[in-house]
Amino acid sequence: MSGVPMNCAEAVLAIGAWCDGELAGDAAAALGAHVAGCAACRAEQAALVALRDEIRAQAPRHVAPPALRARIEAELARAFASAPVDADAPAPARAASAREAAALPRLHTWWTRERRRWFAAGALAGASLAVVVGALTGVVARHWGGDDIAVAAVDSHIAATLGGHTITVASSDRHQIKPWLSARLDYAAPVVELADSPFVLAGARVDRLGGRPVATLVYRYRLHVIDVFVRPLADAGAAPAVTTVRGFTVARATGAGMEWRAVADVDASALAAFVERLASEAEAAQPAGR
Amino acid sequence: MTDRSLFEAQVLPHLDAAYNLARWLTRDPHDAEDVVQEACVRALRYLASLREGGARAWFLTIVRHASYDWIERHRDRDGGDGVVEVAADAESEPAHIAERRGESRALAQAIAALELPFREVIVLRELEELSYKEIASVAAIPIGTVMSRLARARALLRQSPVLHAIAPRRSGGQR
Repeated sequence: MSGVPMNCAEAVLAIGAWCDGELAGDAAAALGAHVAGCAACRAEQAALVALRDEIRAQAPRHVAPPALRARIEAELARAFASAPVDADAPAPARAASAREAAALPRLHTWWTRERRRWFAAGALAGASLAVVVGALTGVVARHWGGDDIAVAAVDSHIAATLGGHTITVASSDRHQIKPWLSARLDYAAPVVELADSPFVLAGARVDRLGGRPVATLVYRYRLHVIDVFVRPLADAGAAPAVTTVRGFTVARATGAGMEWRAVADVDASALAAFVERLASEAEAAQPAGR
Repeated sequence: MTDRSLFEAQVLPHLDAAYNLARWLTRDPHDAEDVVQEACVRALRYLASLREGGARAWFLTIVRHASYDWIERHRDRDGGDGVVEVAADAESEPAHIAERRGESRALAQAIAALELPFREVIVLRELEELSYKEIASVAAIPIGTVMSRLARARALLRQSPVLHAIAPRRSGGQR
């Protein structure tokens, strides 16, 4: 026996982890010791093992139908078709319909390939077409000036989302979030709650951006998580209003002496309107005379 | 490596896992196909964010997002999350699955009846055999939440009336 003895409440949680092969070392030993002397927890352990075996033996793991594979293959073939697609076609306004949204990666891939070809040939014509396609996909800014902060913001967003650490302080009350942020930053970041909006304040965390700690406000919009990086305008250079980095939209606005950058897997126009509203409400909420 | 060969080498091998997750989340075979196709389109778009070794969890994260988007869009049609249409499920089941004993359907029903947050952790853990860390990443929740949701999901499954129907059947022989 090693480690701290376990009580039944702890053992019940540990049994789950043990069943899932996630319990090791001292914790596993402590559980073993507890179960050896506790009939109730032994029964619990047996029941969980039985349930696990039952699920694995009997719940169907569905297999992708051949028709789906064929659809994906066709999608790939379309996406990587060798001929440039509709280079002269008029630009659709903004990808609003699902169909246009689905077409974007194709266009983007095509453009990436074309761009390489132009650069290799040293062709100038590419620049003007890049502007047209870039306006469509919103990526042009990145290739003009290299908006490093947008890239860093997206990295931060991906790391937080994939790591499951989007929120350090969870609250929908700005009066709780603001002092929490102020205690951790050398500036007072405005925190905005939007009334009557599908964008709901969910919490905040502190990230590093451009070598400095910044306030990251986290909003939920339907099922999307939106990170809004708020930092003093003095630290920020000029940047485009909307950029796309690795498929994520980055929308920027300024207000209340701050730069507001929202990052999410959300339609560009919706995200731009959202971040504009945040910045302008923060501006309006500023004490007079500042 | 080109985008296409990267996608084919890293993402396509997880098509079954993707379909399985989408199928359990949407509870409909046709919608699951649409969701997976949409997820593939998104995966192509985000290919640059794919990291070495993490393709399965990465792709499942996208599939989960696409599934949730689908569920959100069809909330009205299904009349909320609580209603389970298991009949449709049974009809379209492939033969090798339909051949299994009747218990299989009962258990599938019990899992399908779980609320989404519990259903997804059970599917990711028991059917896809993802680690807690991977589940945390796919479902965008802390590992502690993975543990508590799994515990709750299992407790719900054990309370489920369909599962209670299994036990006597098994001990009592054929039927």
